[in-house]
Amino acid sequence: MTDAPVELYTDADVRGLRRKIKGWTLALGLFSLLALGVCIALAALTTTGNAQRMELAAIAVSTVSGWIVLYCAIFTVGNARRELGHAGTLREGERERVEGRVRVTRRWLRIKKSITALAVDVETPEGVRSFWVSRSRAKRLSEAGPTALYICHGYVAAYEVTK
Amino acid sequence: MRFFKNVFSQLHTFVLWALMSAIFWGWIFTLVTDAPPAKKITVYCYVPEIRDTELAVRLEEDKPDGIKMIQVHNFEYLLFNSGAVEFGDILILPASRIGEYEELLLPGVEGVKIYDAASRSGAAAAYLGYTEEDYYLFLGAKSVHLEDGAARAVADSLLAAP
Repeated sequence: MTDAPVELYTDADVRGLRRKIKGWTLALGLFSLLALGVCIALAALTTTGNAQRMELAAIAVSTVSGWIVLYCAIFTVGNARRELGHAGTLREGERERVEGRVRVTRRWLRIKKSITALAVDVETPEGVRSFWVSRSRAKRLSEAGPTALYICHGYVAAYEVTK
Repeated sequence: MRFFKNVFSQLHTFVLWALMSAIFWGWIFTLVTDAPPAKKITVYCYVPEIRDTELAVRLEEDKPDGIKMIQVHNFEYLLFNSGAVEFGDILILPASRIGEYEELLLPGVEGVKIYDAASRSGAAAAYLGYTEEDYYLFLGAKSVHLEDGAARAVADSLLAAP
């Protein structure tokens, strides 16, 4: 007996990703403004005697805060955006059901301007077929022990578990 | 581990940001630490060593009314801004270089000896590294602070500095 397909990206997951993007964007914006305020204050408090120290301090604050914002924008917010785009594609696209013994491998693929995915091998009566699953969902899929996958554009969109 | 991999994958972005940050704040501080000629007094010193910031701070302690800042530069500064000395308000030159810069000096006004090599004594010696020759202080021919007396006031402060 099999349960109904379990979605890898539920409505709650999509809402969570949207909240994450919004929250981080807001936090990074506030942090940038704070850093800019500190740099402006350093410039405003500059005198002939402390000009060099203030300039170095402003460059250091601006550089380090910029690195933090860039890192979070590229990797935290950027990854969440890419994941959200990927989720949308999987939730809306056409699916193919593939049954067999499922194994999540360690082979990975980083798609430019998209997600990082791990390969999933499915042993079907016709032979082994390979698909991809988002790295962020690989553990969930692996732990579920699925017996069938729903594939969309070569990626795992949902799975079934036989009881 | 993933953190370092991420950083290396975008290293060019982080390096570019650091460069942009240094250039931008360097420019901002150039603006902050400068003023129009009417609001500043510029002193050029032909000496091998100079504590320019400390001397400027000292001279700013009793700067004349209407003057926002006093800038002290070594002549080496002219390598980057060769025309600036023309408008210098005060010039300190060794005796051997006076002829070279004569057209920049206020005509008809004698230079004031600021350092005497024989006695090894002079003004502002704590800030200016004099060599083994006499040094003279001159007012600049194109100074915009001759009429308001600000250039002379700062020159007097300079001559009184230890």
